[in-house]
Amino acid sequence: MTVATLDTRTPMPHKSERGFFSLMAPGARRAFFYLFVIGVGFIIAFPVLWLVLTSLRPASGMFYVHRGTEFTLDNFFEVFENRIVIKAYINSAIIATLATVLSLGITVTSGYMLSRFRGPIASGWFSIIYVFRCVPYISWVLPLYILTQNLGVYDTYLGLLLPHIAVHICFFSWLMKGFFDGIDPSMEYAALIDGCTRWGAFVRVALPSAVPGLAALAVLCWLWTWNEFLFALLLTSHQTPVLTVVMAQFVHELGIEWNLMSATAVMALGPALLITFFGQKYVITGLKI
Amino acid sequence: MLALIAPAAVTMALFQVVPIILGANASFRDWTLYDPKKTWVGLKHYIEVITDPAFFGLAIPNTLLFLVLSVSLSLTFGLGLALLLNRSFVGQSVVRTIVLLPLMVAPVIASIMMRWMFNDQFGIVNVVLEGVGLPPVAWLAYRWTTMMVIVLADVWLWTPWFAVLLLAGLQSLPKEPFEAAAIDAAGPWRVFRSLTLPMLRPVIVVCVVIRSIDAFRVFDQVWVISGGGPARTTEMFSIYAYVEAFQRMNFGKGSAAALVGGAVIVVFGLVLYRLLNRAVEVSK
Repeated sequence: MTVATLDTRTPMPHKSERGFFSLMAPGARRAFFYLFVIGVGFIIAFPVLWLVLTSLRPASGMFYVHRGTEFTLDNFFEVFENRIVIKAYINSAIIATLATVLSLGITVTSGYMLSRFRGPIASGWFSIIYVFRCVPYISWVLPLYILTQNLGVYDTYLGLLLPHIAVHICFFSWLMKGFFDGIDPSMEYAALIDGCTRWGAFVRVALPSAVPGLAALAVLCWLWTWNEFLFALLLTSHQTPVLTVVMAQFVHELGIEWNLMSATAVMALGPALLITFFGQKYVITGLKI
Repeated sequence: MLALIAPAAVTMALFQVVPIILGANASFRDWTLYDPKKTWVGLKHYIEVITDPAFFGLAIPNTLLFLVLSVSLSLTFGLGLALLLNRSFVGQSVVRTIVLLPLMVAPVIASIMMRWMFNDQFGIVNVVLEGVGLPPVAWLAYRWTTMMVIVLADVWLWTPWFAVLLLAGLQSLPKEPFEAAAIDAAGPWRVFRSLTLPMLRPVIVVCVVIRSIDAFRVFDQVWVISGGGPARTTEMFSIYAYVEAFQRMNFGKGSAAALVGGAVIVVFGLVLYRLLNRAVEVSK
C-alpha cells in the first residue's frame, strides 16, 4: 500500500463551471453579472433620463419622444420667461437655506441633551419626540392653515419656515442624539474637571467633534425642505410661490405641455443632481446614523 | 439641562401642540371656511368620519395596502441592491451614484415622471407595449393600475434609502461567521438565509418601522399621480382629510379625519417601537 492511496482530498467543484454556466464559454458568468448590473442601473436611472430627454424635445416632438432626432433648449428659455417659476425657484432656495440653518441651530442642543443626560426629563423629552414623529403631517397642517392666518404670517417666509422647523425638531433631535452617542464623552468630563462650564464643554469640545455629522444633516435637511410639498401647498399662495407647488399645479392645469413640464422639473432637479455627484459622502454619512 | 431643549420645546409647543389643540377644537364644531358661526356639534364629525364608507372602508385600507406593498417591495429591492453593492466589481462607484439618485429627487418630480411615462397616449410604457404587440393600457383610468403606478413611484423613491442603510449594516457585520461558512462549503443561498438575514435583522426592523410610519402619511405621490381618482378610489388617509377640509370646505370633518388617522398611526407607531426595542435586544 502506497501513501498515495490515503489521499482523502475531495475534488472541489470549480466555481465558474457549475450548472447553467458550465454550458457556456468561460467568463459567461462574469458577462451575465455585468449585464445584470447594467440592467439594474438603467432601470433606476431611466425615469430621470427620460425626463431630461423629454425636456430637450420641441413641443411638436412630444408624440414621438422615443424616436425623434430634434433637440432644442427652447423649453428652458420658455420656462425662464415665466416670472412665477423664477420667483418660486428663488423662494424655494431661500426657504430651504433658512430652514436648514435654523433647524440645525435649534436641534443641536436638544440632541446633545438627549445623549448626555439621564433622568425623567430626558426620557420624557425623548417620548414626546417619538410620539410627535409619528403624527402625520396632515394632522398639523390643517390647523396650521388657520393658525398662520391668525398670526398674520400666512403666505410669507415665516409662515412656512416655522412649521418646517417644528417638524424637523423631532427627527433631527433623534439623529443628533445618534451623533453625540458616537462621540466619547470623556473629553468633556476632562474639560468639566478643568473648570469649564457645561455650556463651554458643549461648545468647545463636543460641537467641533460633531461637525461632520452636522454637515451631512445640513445637506439632507436642505434637500428635504427643497423637495417638501404638503406644507408648501397649504401654507403658501400667490405671494410666496414655492417650486414643488408650482410644478404640481402645472400637471393639473397645463398637463398637456409635457416639454415645459419636464424642463421645469429638470431645473428643480439641479440641486439634487449636484448633491448626488459632489456631496455623496455627506448624504451617506447623514443617512447611516 | 432645560435650557438646552428650551428653543426646541417652545417651537414645538407653538407649531405642533397648539395646532393639534386648534384642530381638536375645530373637529368638534361645524367649522366651514365660509360660515363664521362655528357651532359646537360635539362628536358629530367623528361619527360621520367613522361611519363614512370612504374612510374606514376605502381610505384607510388603501393607505395600509400602499404601506405594505411599498415597504415590502422597497425592502426586497433595497436588500438586493445592498448585496450587489457589497461585492467589489469594476464600476461599483458608478452604480452606487446611480442608486443614490432617486433619494435626492422630490416625490413631486418622481410622480410627474411616472405620470408622463404611464401617459395613455404618448407614454413610453405604452409605446413599449405596442412595440411588443400588446394593446396599450389607460393606466390612470382604473383603480388597480393607478395604485400600481403610485406604489411604483414610491418604491423607486425609497429603494435607495433601504439599500444605503442595509449596505452600511452589511459592512459592519463581523467577518468570522462568513469565513467559517466558507470553510464549511455553505452555498450562497444558505449563507444568506442562515447568516446574513438573521444578523441584519435589527437594521431591517429599524428601517421598516421608520419607513412604515412615513408611508402612512403619503400625500405627494397620490396627489400628483391620481389626485385620489379615478372617482376617489385611490384616495388615501391624508388625501381624504385634505379633500374634506379644503375641497368640500368642511374644516371640522377634515380635522376629525386627520385626528382619527393620527391616532391610528400613533398607536401603530408605539406598537412598532416595542417591536423595535425587542428586536434590538435579541440581537445583543
